[in-house]
Amino acid sequence: MNQQPLSIQARVLVAGCAEGPALVLDDTLSFWGGFNPANGEIIDVHHPQHGQRVGGRILCIAQSKGSAGTPGGIAETLRNGSGPAAFVLGERDVNISVGTLVANRLYQLNVPVVEISIEQMRQINTGEAMTIDRDGTISINR
Amino acid sequence: MRLNELDQARLDGKFGKAMQFAMQTIVTAAHIDQADRLIDISFAHIDACFYNGRAHLDFINYMLEHGATLAVPSWTNNGLVSLNDLSVRDPLASREMDEARQLMQAYVRLGCNPVWTCAPYQLPGRPELGAHIVGSESNAVSFYNSVIGARSNMYGDYLDVCAAITGRVPFSKLHRDEARAAQVLFDVGKIPSLIRDNDLFYHLLGYVIGCSCGNQVPAIVGLPSSCDEDDLKALSAAGSSAGSVPLFHAIGITPEAATLEIAFQDRQPQQVIELSVADLQQARNELGNNSDQALAGIALGTPHFSYTEFERLVSLLDGRSIHPGLVFYLTTSRHVYEQAQSHGWVDSLQQAGIKIITDTCTYFSPVVNGLQGKIMTNSAKWAYYAPGMLPVDVLIGSLVECVESAVSGEVMLDQWVDA
Repeated sequence: MNQQPLSIQARVLVAGCAEGPALVLDDTLSFWGGFNPANGEIIDVHHPQHGQRVGGRILCIAQSKGSAGTPGGIAETLRNGSGPAAFVLGERDVNISVGTLVANRLYQLNVPVVEISIEQMRQINTGEAMTIDRDGTISINR
Repeated sequence: MRLNELDQARLDGKFGKAMQFAMQTIVTAAHIDQADRLIDISFAHIDACFYNGRAHLDFINYMLEHGATLAVPSWTNNGLVSLNDLSVRDPLASREMDEARQLMQAYVRLGCNPVWTCAPYQLPGRPELGAHIVGSESNAVSFYNSVIGARSNMYGDYLDVCAAITGRVPFSKLHRDEARAAQVLFDVGKIPSLIRDNDLFYHLLGYVIGCSCGNQVPAIVGLPSSCDEDDLKALSAAGSSAGSVPLFHAIGITPEAATLEIAFQDRQPQQVIELSVADLQQARNELGNNSDQALAGIALGTPHFSYTEFERLVSLLDGRSIHPGLVFYLTTSRHVYEQAQSHGWVDSLQQAGIKIITDTCTYFSPVVNGLQGKIMTNSAKWAYYAPGMLPVDVLIGSLVECVESAVSGEVMLDQWVDA
């Protein structure tokens, strides 16, 4: 495990700022059916992180899965305060981005969505303190 | 990205705040997709009318308050509740159900055609081959792309509405010719025709393809001439439940796949997968087991039951009644319901003990009244989703198996792929 502080320049999909501990998901997730937007819990019984909550975390996820309902699940969890502080994606994902964009607009939030490579995501470990700047600079303090 | 003058004016707020917000969302999506321009659409099927929390209602209320109107004909997907029969999911039982009803009514105010169906392609007036459209519900996206040859990406909530308001989408992915080429070939020609002619075959095949094709566009060779739109509906729904299959080609059947060469756009398949009866058996087992529990009910109509499925059900039931004590739910669209009613089928099926529901579906929570325990369905999509959301134990069977089980009160399976 790399213990040096790390800085990654991400591609900004939705601009915003955030800080919080990382939660790196080991699999993709549908935010409709696989996620409870009322409390931010992963409820997909097949997901390796089933039962974990995403609230306040910087959620690192390759991409969302399937359903047209994902943007609504994202917007609702951000609305009620149970959602992540930011999304770091390993692939460009319109659904997560649109859900976040709508929540930022409707509820005057500032939640960023940024994209990095899957290789860069492998350098991030769950629990590490992260910050994301408006220009997409990710800093990991170890 | 190039924006034309009209798009720029929309983005600058010259048509009001709702149009501006819708255009910002479309431009953000174009940026993410790395599209170089936007194109016109001619139709939208809206999923954002399906309640998933207060944010859905806040979104459409914001749009309506700021003057949103529709640029293209827009039809509604299922809602969470049935406006025709609020007792299916009791709207007074919770704030959520009442908000779900308000949400559906808001989309009527926006000007949507309130068809409330996940199978809009069964209704007259469907898009033409090559038309650029917006689909959202996953089975409908797959059917529109694959069976009709209209062009849609898998649009999610909000983006579907923003596209309907602006009439524009990014020119990306499945809107472009090159993304529509088949990449992987599934050969079902060695599977006995007795099995390929069974309606359950298409549900299991869709599941297998969804599980194994990843992000590639699949083509299928070896489907029998009996393959009809109900079968292709099953393929669309199963494939996009088990995996993400917004487009497939059926060689010699679907409109962009007259031949292998056309479907693959003159390239070679990256992979050829020959499927066997064992693959179907495995799919059937993964979609539910015939447990020791007594059968409690039947659920049909995911996606919504078609006119021809009604016709078949009435014929298979042949005047018999559902076994007392079983619940039997059938979901369909208002349009098909009226067609069935005009033949007297609705009355006869209701008298036999079948509850027919419009506007919504039964596979998601909150649970429809009385649907618990061991439930048999003819739908891979129902079997895939319901166990995660409802207090049910699921078993999949053909329409014949579902009908015979419903009449006898116990599970009756054919021999060819026993669970």
